[in-house]
Amino acid sequence: RDKYRYFACLLRERFDKNKDVKDMVKATELLKAGEEEFWANQHPQPYIFPDSPGGTAYERYECYKIPEWCLDFWHPSEKAMYPDYFAKREQWKKLQQESWEKELKQLEEETPADGPRTEALPPARKEGHLPPLWWQYVTRPREIPM
Amino acid sequence: METALLLNTSMILTLTIILTPILLPLLLKNPQNSPANLTRTVKTAFLTSLVPMTLFMHSGMESIISTWEWKFIMNFKIPISLKMDQYSMMFFPIALFVTWSILQFASWYMASEPYITKFFQYLLMFLIAMLTLTIANNLFLLFIGWEGVGIMSFLLIGWWQGRAEANTAALQAVLYNRIGDIGIILSMAWLASSTNTWEVQQTFTSTQTPMLPLLGLILAAAGKSAQFGLHPWLPAAMEGPTPVSALLHSSTMVVAGIFLLIRTHPMLSNNQTALTMCLCLGSLSTLFAATCAITQNDIKKIIAFSTSSQLGLMMVTIGLNLPQLAFLHISTHAFFKAMLFLCSGSIIHNLNGEQDIRKMGGLQKMLPTTTSCLTIGNLALMGTPFLAGFYSKDLIIESMNTSYLNTWALLLTLLATSFTATYTLRMTLLVQTNFTRMATATPMNENNKAITNPITRLALGSIMAGLLITSFITPTKTPPMTMPTLTKTAAITMTILGIILALELSNMAHTLTQPKQTTFTNFSSLLGFFNPLLHRLTSTNLLNNGQKIASHLIDLSWYKKMGPEGIANLQLMATKTSTTLHSGLIKAYLSSFALSILIILLVY
Repeated sequence: RDKYRYFACLLRERFDKNKDVKDMVKATELLKAGEEEFWANQHPQPYIFPDSPGGTAYERYECYKIPEWCLDFWHPSEKAMYPDYFAKREQWKKLQQESWEKELKQLEEETPADGPRTEALPPARKEGHLPPLWWQYVTRPREIPM
Repeated sequence: METALLLNTSMILTLTIILTPILLPLLLKNPQNSPANLTRTVKTAFLTSLVPMTLFMHSGMESIISTWEWKFIMNFKIPISLKMDQYSMMFFPIALFVTWSILQFASWYMASEPYITKFFQYLLMFLIAMLTLTIANNLFLLFIGWEGVGIMSFLLIGWWQGRAEANTAALQAVLYNRIGDIGIILSMAWLASSTNTWEVQQTFTSTQTPMLPLLGLILAAAGKSAQFGLHPWLPAAMEGPTPVSALLHSSTMVVAGIFLLIRTHPMLSNNQTALTMCLCLGSLSTLFAATCAITQNDIKKIIAFSTSSQLGLMMVTIGLNLPQLAFLHISTHAFFKAMLFLCSGSIIHNLNGEQDIRKMGGLQKMLPTTTSCLTIGNLALMGTPFLAGFYSKDLIIESMNTSYLNTWALLLTLLATSFTATYTLRMTLLVQTNFTRMATATPMNENNKAITNPITRLALGSIMAGLLITSFITPTKTPPMTMPTLTKTAAITMTILGIILALELSNMAHTLTQPKQTTFTNFSSLLGFFNPLLHRLTSTNLLNNGQKIASHLIDLSWYKKMGPEGIANLQLMATKTSTTLHSGLIKAYLSSFALSILIILLVY
């Protein structure tokens, strides 16, 4: 780690020397040279954390993540093993059906005319409303199932 | 008299014991299989298989059983014939021992898997296929085992199906194995048509065997055992869980190809060209794999490349016409490679899934058993005197030095030996010594017996196996006894050179030099560019050619240029020139007309 600091300071100094260049053409030329040097000096096997895309454990448990509508297909004897959960589940489903229309209306109002700009969903605006598409978010499977 | 009966019975009993956990839940009503159950089964089978091995060691007894023929053509017999000779009787206990240790380890490693029993059953089915391959006397039964290990390898590598790279790796494994299968089917077809048998006994011809079946067999071995041209599946197969890598891709499946060549060795020994081909292919793959292993940063990939390199070495031994030595190397290699994989699995699990050696270090104090077994395994891999690797590896290099063959293969193999030392030392140093580079709060312990027992058992095996096997099995070919001192110590010298190289490099890394990105380092780190080159070039070529043929050739050329448009073009040129000729100057024509008539009238 100490070696890295040394080289980082050297690189920082090289940057700082050219900090005050106001000429736009020269600045873009310097930028291009810098990017080329970066590409040539890249590490051939960059370190990737196991859980990030491209890592060794990424998406490993994807096959065990079951969607929540499978719970509706359980046999009543199995459902009887978790009575309190399934009782509350009925209430949640009723809540979802009630708020669906209001969520859709909110989404329709808030998207600009030529399609949504970002992937982020807007929060709930009025009192007593729920944020749009909350059901997908609340019932997503755990990161590491089991 | 009784010993033959005992031999046959115990071998068949071993096979039956292995089959029990698969068949019993189907036959009885209660499917109550558990990992502990399966581990116990394999342990029992191991102990049972020790009986034939001791019988063989004691009295040199071999046997062949033929039962139940599959009668579908009149004069072509395919019996289920099991050959219990030196190779299969030695292989059974070794494979079962290694599998028992791996299953015990896997009961800890895969403890958080919901379908752990299915995993164990897959491993058991793989083992059955492998043992079928080993004990087969005819190529048909061997092919059944061959395909079986291929299929199980697909299922096991892609165990976590949600992961896209695991699926790609499993597909890669199956496709490369398939290309090898073309080879074995070719040789089976040739054998069936020209010698009317698939029994291994009857494949011996005193004259030179023609090249075609031998090419097929070498292709099959190259596909299954990851020799140079068909190798990318082996490092990609590390996507599977560590017990899978330990069982399949270190000790058993990858030796299936070499085993095929050992079994059909009488056919190979006549044809010197085929032997030389094996030699060159083997030395090339050894060197290539060792080169790639030097700059890898993932422990499992380093061990995978080291497996690939040792397989090349086994191929070299076959090329030297020494099948028994190749089998010895298979046996000793199984022990220490499986142990290396299990140690790396223990390290990975303890570090919470971290596989990159750049993030490990200083593990000696924290995981003493694992790291000492890792060191023992690495020493055995390098061929340290009197550990397991020495007996096989040193003998191979000595035989190579003293026999009459081309120098290039020799050079490559020696270079690869020194590289072996380099990368094993690099791995050991980076993983175990120095300051630690991992995340600071990782709880790790080795208190579980399920980890320490298998690893120490395999360590014991790595140390003793070489000595035991060479003491009890008489070699069929006398090993070279006298040679100049330089050749005798050649292997050790290369190893020491490799160690020095590794120490130099690590010293360089501690001082503040910026690592250069030369072409060599790029070549080695990116696996020699083989993967992207081959995969992308062939598919782009195929698609480009397909597009050219479909649209350009057929549509453009034949329909347009040759047909209407081409003729129209030709006509256009002709008409243009002729219209310019025909310039329409009537007065000039009339006057020339009149002038010529006047001249004719005047003449006459």
